[in-house]
Amino acid sequence: MPEPLKRKKKDGTSYERPPEIEAWLKKLESVEAAERLRQFATLSRKSLGHVPSEALVYFLRRAWADGMQGDFEKIFRILMNRIEQSLCSVISDSRMAGARGIREEIMDRFVERIAKDCKGRTGLLDFYEIRFDKAFAAFRTSALRQIGPSVVDTVPLGTDEDDVLEISAEVEAAAADFLGGEPEKLDDPAFRLELTAAIDCLPEDQKQVVGLLLQGFQIDSKDKDVMTIARILQCDERTVRNRRDRACKALKAILQKENAQ
Amino acid sequence: MTAEQHSRPSEEEVLLAFSVEPTHDRKTLEQYLREYPEHAKALVACSIELMVDATRSDDVAVTSEGAVDRAWQRFQTVVSQPGDVLVTNPFATLNPTAFRSLAKRLDITNLLLVRLRDRAIVAATIPGRFVQGLATELGATAEAVMDYLQSPPAMVSGHSFRSVVKPAVTEQISFAEAIEKSQLTPAQQDALKALQD
Repeated sequence: MPEPLKRKKKDGTSYERPPEIEAWLKKLESVEAAERLRQFATLSRKSLGHVPSEALVYFLRRAWADGMQGDFEKIFRILMNRIEQSLCSVISDSRMAGARGIREEIMDRFVERIAKDCKGRTGLLDFYEIRFDKAFAAFRTSALRQIGPSVVDTVPLGTDEDDVLEISAEVEAAAADFLGGEPEKLDDPAFRLELTAAIDCLPEDQKQVVGLLLQGFQIDSKDKDVMTIARILQCDERTVRNRRDRACKALKAILQKENAQ
Repeated sequence: MTAEQHSRPSEEEVLLAFSVEPTHDRKTLEQYLREYPEHAKALVACSIELMVDATRSDDVAVTSEGAVDRAWQRFQTVVSQPGDVLVTNPFATLNPTAFRSLAKRLDITNLLLVRLRDRAIVAATIPGRFVQGLATELGATAEAVMDYLQSPPAMVSGHSFRSVVKPAVTEQISFAEAIEKSQLTPAQQDALKALQD
């Protein structure tokens, strides 16, 4: 039986792995260690038999606890290879200045978390046994906020200085056309996926506004109890609208370009 | 330091807890924003990153050579550090701009922040509320920052000593003395003294 997670939620109950991860662990525990390591080595997610990274973290921790140093190193290297691949995709050399240094720093920080876990210090790795990709995205977000470049290289779409100025009718029309004209398009999963991918190309301030809009937050409200985008981002509602409108114009251009290809 | 101050989770812990929630809809985000307003910007960034991340594919990425070997060497170095407690320098990754910006956000001079970074102040004399504020800005737990501040003063970084004088381990002073000697304005000094009460 896989060992339960130790980390507790705020309400005092323990975190649990999803049933599919538990099933993987039970299956992998029933095979020989050498065969298990062979299965771990399948890198591509698309390959049949790709072992989820949540299971790798579980067996990595178990190898350390059992003093199986050889197994530990092998699993560590497989996990790091996956992490490097994921980091190269998100923080690519073409997208961010000094990308390699940033990737190395994030990896170093993650390695430190593993080392701390080996010394029984934090238990933070429990999160990675639940939803590895999501937990690592959160870890990466936190690290990037501290060490990443202030501006990710994207299409120049305006600056903060003109945030509170009136925007042109052209931009406003593009926004209305994009979200106002056919709001039902957002219900189409294919369009939503395309849109979400395009959001990744926006500057951070516009990404925040569109992201929050897609999650269903409203820009502003007279009701002080309503959590609005303006309140979350602590800025004027005109600033939010201007960022939204500029973002919509940019998104329209990106999507048109992609559809034309 | 009170138990409550210790119990506030770091940005990383909050984001990790958020990331493993079954859904990341508006309701979940709103709940976290209300519970951890000090990490609002990080939570928004994280929620959008989680949304966008699902659309990415890492099968096509070209990886850096030697990254895995480098990670293994790093692991061996860190895990073999003596002592039960791994103390990491929470200031280590701040570039000069980020360092100055941190001082500004804390409303203190760069000099006082340098003294804190170089552990030139007796940790026990630093008010808990100040450590908590510093930890929040650094994205670390108050416990981790205190671990660092309590570790012995040392010659921490090359850029501290660009002089012909032989570098030496800094002699520690009290927080009260540091307030007096760190070129703070009277208003800044008063604000810091109030934290000591």
